[in-house]
Amino acid sequence: MKLKHLAILIALAFGVTEANADRLVIKGSDTLGAKLVPQLAEQFKAQHPGTTFDIAAEGSTTGIAAIIDGTAEIGMSSRRAKSSEVGAAAAKGKHMKPTIVAFDGIAVIVNSANPIKGLTKKQVEQIFTGDVTDWSAVGGSGGKISVYTRNTSSGTYSDFKELAMKKRDYASGSQKMAGNEQIAAEVGKNPNGVGYVGMAYTKAGGIKAMPIDGAVPSTKSVQAHTYPYWRPTFYYTNGDPSGLAKEFVDFTVGSGGQRIVAQVGFVPIK
Amino acid sequence: MKKLTLAAIAVCFALGGTAARAEDAGALLDLLVKKKLITDQEAEEVRGELIKESAETSAGKWKLSTPITELELYGDVRLRYNYDGGRTKSRGPTAAPGVGVAGADDWQERSRERYRLRLGLRGTLMDDWFFGLRLETNASPRSTNVTFGGDASPSSPGGGGPFAKGDDTVYVGQAYAGYKGFPDFTFTGGRMPNPLVTTLMVWDPDINPEGLAEQWKHTFTFNIGGGGGEAVQGYSKYSKEGKGVVAAQSEPFKLKLDLFANFGQFVYNGNINTNPLGTRPTVSASAGDATGQTGQEIPHYDAFLLAWQVGGRLTFPNNVYFQVAPVVYNYTGDGNVFNIHYQGGSPYVTNSASVAQNQTGINSLLVLEVPMEVGWKIGELPMRIFSDFATNFEADDRASAAGQSGQGSQRFAYTAGLGIGQLKEKGDWQIDIWYQHAEQFSLDPNLIDDDIFNAQLNMHGIAVRAAYNLSSAVNLTLTYAHGWQYNGNLGTGGVGQAATGINPLAQFNWFTADLNVKF
Repeated sequence: MKLKHLAILIALAFGVTEANADRLVIKGSDTLGAKLVPQLAEQFKAQHPGTTFDIAAEGSTTGIAAIIDGTAEIGMSSRRAKSSEVGAAAAKGKHMKPTIVAFDGIAVIVNSANPIKGLTKKQVEQIFTGDVTDWSAVGGSGGKISVYTRNTSSGTYSDFKELAMKKRDYASGSQKMAGNEQIAAEVGKNPNGVGYVGMAYTKAGGIKAMPIDGAVPSTKSVQAHTYPYWRPTFYYTNGDPSGLAKEFVDFTVGSGGQRIVAQVGFVPIK
Repeated sequence: MKKLTLAAIAVCFALGGTAARAEDAGALLDLLVKKKLITDQEAEEVRGELIKESAETSAGKWKLSTPITELELYGDVRLRYNYDGGRTKSRGPTAAPGVGVAGADDWQERSRERYRLRLGLRGTLMDDWFFGLRLETNASPRSTNVTFGGDASPSSPGGGGPFAKGDDTVYVGQAYAGYKGFPDFTFTGGRMPNPLVTTLMVWDPDINPEGLAEQWKHTFTFNIGGGGGEAVQGYSKYSKEGKGVVAAQSEPFKLKLDLFANFGQFVYNGNINTNPLGTRPTVSASAGDATGQTGQEIPHYDAFLLAWQVGGRLTFPNNVYFQVAPVVYNYTGDGNVFNIHYQGGSPYVTNSASVAQNQTGINSLLVLEVPMEVGWKIGELPMRIFSDFATNFEADDRASAAGQSGQGSQRFAYTAGLGIGQLKEKGDWQIDIWYQHAEQFSLDPNLIDDDIFNAQLNMHGIAVRAAYNLSSAVNLTLTYAHGWQYNGNLGTGGVGQAATGINPLAQFNWFTADLNVKF
């Protein structure tokens, strides 16, 4: 009888292990996790029946923290890991290994009714830091500017500060939104709204992406790194990925994955 | 992989082999990607490695807030042996000698072993702002010294005893912020390093004034000569006949003119109730009888010291320069601390009564100071002559208020000296020798240096300072000063930290041996 219990326990244990082996936990960036990674996961599942994904897109900071804590196999991030995060990982014996999965351009969007035809980098900095509060100061027809930003756990939030704002603080009256889609929706409804989204979200209704110093966010300008607010997006793993995580990373950077990258609106890495 | 290794080597080489500046690698890696020497992924891996190494170094563990663009930690530690001695007068109504009571020709001498610590942090912030903070030992505005064993008394904080920590306290010496966003202008507010060009005769270098300062400085450069012209004549070589016919050097020499202006609005005496409860307080008999101020209302507004300085420095080739920086000081009022009229002591009362007279009043002070300096080099040896001249335009009133009508001529202060050498590198030396003369009603006794003549006026004498750099950061400095009373009919006004209880101060000797360690 005891032998039977032992056999059941062993079988259960192996069964659990088997189940874990087919389940991939991915956490992090909303930019990647809202559209791109779920579609990659669907395609991957079609090729690997029995695989399940647990995807939580709550911001790049949460993805990097998940790698440090060991609560995810892949951390999605739209920004580079900070030195403090890399240091914290090292202290726990983890090695933050970045893999570029796609390029992105952070598009500055305004309401499609806004007559503005383009902005300079200086004007973008002035708008988002609050130095300028009325559209008339940047060539618009007048009206109090409503600034929409991502929340502080977002990689896009910190990337944009670094790329466009010389690391200055956002305007005190800016409204923090949970994701790209929410920003696009709010700007689409507000004629005086301005915000930023990943390129994949510029097709939303009621908005238009602004050329910056004449450069339009496009596949060509981002791949050539001529669009000023281009950036790589990452999967972070603890060292070189292995097992199912490696298969998914390889799939993402492979030709099949990169086709999806392009379809979703990101820029392929090659 | 080979390319990746190449990139890593290139980056490490560019960064001097340290990972501490990993963030600087971005531009170089971007360039390598742009040149297609490496891929974006390879660049990212190198960047990740550098950040990891950086994060594990001591420097990488320091985190600075985003607005800080540059930060400097600096300071100094000084070990000092200090002798000071003061002598009372040989004539006049000094008290009968007793324990602690000055008699005629009575010397008070003291030797102290002391240290000081100054630890500062200054930096620049985004958008042309800056800030500074410096912690210092000693609460006195004119000293940062702590005397070893000076707090052994049971009444000292902490209960005294050997090696007590009662006086080893750290104070905020400087705390300021400012803006440099307009070309040539600097605006500073807070408790700041003295923004004025001045000398020991007028300002103790330990004083960090509190308030606002506005500074402007612009440099004009003139190219004179360059293959011909009058200005080149000085560079012409002479023929054997002694005529200036040999072609001049084609390199033009540059004349540099720095013009500057410094303005200060310093809060001299603050925290006054401008509308106190009840009736206005008045000067008590004990404080005011000697100056006829008994019953006067005590000022109920803050007192400000205002400084107005313009100046210029003309620099010729070969390190020859001339600098002059006149400055006018005036006060907006006396405040409630400095409102009793300055008397400064008298040789016609007992020594203790003389000391008890007011030594700090700032009434009737409108002072012009003109510091000047001329420098040149003999061979590689820098030399300079420095001087300062000051006069109080309201000395007549100040003397009258002190009960010394007719002594308004005691309005001048001046100093002049010679400096040889300059401390920069290991083995450098410097010697300064100067004469200083400050009359009784010439200067604000609360500001003058408290070392050379014990922060007392109506003194004159000589001082010499010799310093040697044991390393570029460590020097040994010896200073000796000997001063004596100038006008025998007046006291020696001011409150010194040495030779306490002596006024008039007939003679004063000062000697220090300092080991300065700067970092």
